[in-house]
Amino acid sequence: MDLDFTPAERDFRAEARAWLRENVPPRPLPSMDTPAGFEAHRAWERRLAAARLSAVSWPEEYGGRGASLVEWLIFEEEYWAAGAPGRVSQNGVFLLAPTLFAFGTPDQRARLLPRMAAADDIWAQAWSEPEAGSDLAALRSRAVRAEGGWRLYGHKTWSSRAAYADWAFGLFRTDPAAPRHRGLTYLMFPLTGADGVTVRPIAQLGGGHGFAEILLDGLYVPDDLVLGAPGDGWRIAMATTSSERGLTLRSPGRFLATADRLVRLARHTGADPALADEVARAWLDAEAYRLHTFATARRIAAGEEIGPAASMGKVFWSELDVRMHRLAQRLLGERGLLSGAAPDAADGGRWLDGFLFSLAGPIYAGTNEIQRTIIAERVLGLPR
Amino acid sequence: MDFALTDDQLALAATVREVLRAHCPPEEVRHGRDRRPAWARLAGVGLFAALVPEEHGGLGLRLADTVPALEETGRAAMPGPVAETVAAAPALLAGEPDSLGGLASGKLPVSVRLGEQVYIPDADLAELLVVESGGRAYALPAGTGLTHQPGVDPVRRLFSLAPSALDAARPLPGGDPRLALRRVTVATAAQLVGAARHLLDTTVAYAGTRRQFGAPIGSFQAVKHRLADVAIAVEFAAPLVYRAALSVDAARPTADRDVSAAKAAAGEAAEQAARTALQVHGAIGYTDELDLRLWLARVWSLAAAYGGTAPHRARLRESILSDPGRWP
Repeated sequence: MDLDFTPAERDFRAEARAWLRENVPPRPLPSMDTPAGFEAHRAWERRLAAARLSAVSWPEEYGGRGASLVEWLIFEEEYWAAGAPGRVSQNGVFLLAPTLFAFGTPDQRARLLPRMAAADDIWAQAWSEPEAGSDLAALRSRAVRAEGGWRLYGHKTWSSRAAYADWAFGLFRTDPAAPRHRGLTYLMFPLTGADGVTVRPIAQLGGGHGFAEILLDGLYVPDDLVLGAPGDGWRIAMATTSSERGLTLRSPGRFLATADRLVRLARHTGADPALADEVARAWLDAEAYRLHTFATARRIAAGEEIGPAASMGKVFWSELDVRMHRLAQRLLGERGLLSGAAPDAADGGRWLDGFLFSLAGPIYAGTNEIQRTIIAERVLGLPR
Repeated sequence: MDFALTDDQLALAATVREVLRAHCPPEEVRHGRDRRPAWARLAGVGLFAALVPEEHGGLGLRLADTVPALEETGRAAMPGPVAETVAAAPALLAGEPDSLGGLASGKLPVSVRLGEQVYIPDADLAELLVVESGGRAYALPAGTGLTHQPGVDPVRRLFSLAPSALDAARPLPGGDPRLALRRVTVATAAQLVGAARHLLDTTVAYAGTRRQFGAPIGSFQAVKHRLADVAIAVEFAAPLVYRAALSVDAARPTADRDVSAAKAAAGEAAEQAARTALQVHGAIGYTDELDLRLWLARVWSLAAAYGGTAPHRARLRESILSDPGRWP
């Protein structure tokens, strides 16, 4: 047991840091939840991809560097510490790609992953439906057998990035007679340039279009866009959701960066001891998440499945993120509520944007109430 | 970077756990304190020799190597000055070859009064007392000038020391009270993690069998979510304890801060586990009939030892707001 980075890990950190110092835009990009901001973020992803930094942990043949999990964590630390833009390709690179590596065909990987790494295709997730939120298995969208493929019908909603993305992935009911967790199929489908799909952006409480609803009325999808076997979608999706809850969705890097900014803010504003105490606690919680993740990364590298224990991390980081941003607002007072458009905005409005974004954390990827129930039943073994 | 438990760490912990299961069951915690249950057997597996250098009959291990084993002593609520003897004593007696041999063999239980500590825990079960005065370590013969101060924990007893007892004290020139305090604080944090795990396990078991409204109370979400929160608190406190141990072992510049982080987080997680355990047990938990009270008291007792949460939080606040340097 040690906490010493290897020379190779240190070199990788130095390379990432140097590249980011040269390349991170000096001013924040416009919000990715606007048409222009989305394209600005796509351009940033292309710049990352050109340096083979958009998906460092993937094998080289798909545009990655074959980096280890620890190296990926190091990259994330440097990325967020450098104040680099949010990842518009998040859903594809960190949620769909792990599922493609685990369940996709070689052909699917060869066709989809390089375009994903290069941000030629940006992916949205399409899990929730109006009547299937926390209870995802209640979903009703259907895929009906057609010549050489499937036709999709139904209504997906709260689909992150769907407003401007190119593709989406989600679950569809292919056997209405089967029990509700069976008869579901994991499908990938285009959001633009095809008949039978309509995307309606949804304005969020912060004003941007961070998610959308997707109306499907006979969109045709060929068989080679089925991920895994028809009817096996639930099992495959659960593999994705455990990466979503676990470290691939929110590596410690972004919370460490927020914690460091919060400490600087507390020092700058002269926080009273009670607030300063909470700031110190939040900084340490970010450290705890980091250390915990280093241990988890080692277990994953040794072939262990993390499974339902990933829910503990999800509750921990999402509530920490809200707490840190609330603390920043308490330190800033009314200034903390000013957007980037305000002349007096603190840190270009980043604290407000971050606060609003943090509030979604305990809701998405399975609400924290669902996560606590999972922890109780599947980690602790309490009765259902 | 390999922040995972090694096979050696796990093996020592598994052995300690087996010994404690067999020789330090709850009846022994309750009634066998004065016999120091399992002490001699743990000496046999080398627990007390862990931090003693090899040339003095010890194993020459790092503190970090013993953390999982120390968690087990907390899980069992093992009586006696375990953290003091395992973690503090080797640093205090570094210049006393004869004593180190006794330590390694388990024949020299040691208790201490270090730093801001007011009382000496389990002083009556120690053969040697070491107290810090003016930054130096002094050895006292056991049994002189001690007054038992009865309190909430009937097992981990606290003793005050008459100031005059220091007149008979012998200086320990090779002793390092600062290192000893760091180590014993981390060891105590590890025991708190172990005690919290025990409280969580026993409460989950109870909630799975106790029925009300025709169902096990553990099937109710209000109960589930409280226990999930305890699991989360313990899960994220434990790595801070390991980091503190590594930091102390390597004398990192952040060592004091890391020790405080470990103690504060472990203390709070354990207090949350204790509070939840009592609430989920309900009235039966509020009795002397169950062994639960022994673990509740141990958590309160250890959470206050070697600096309670408040002084450690204050130290963290100052340290982090002035320079939050990360390690690694």
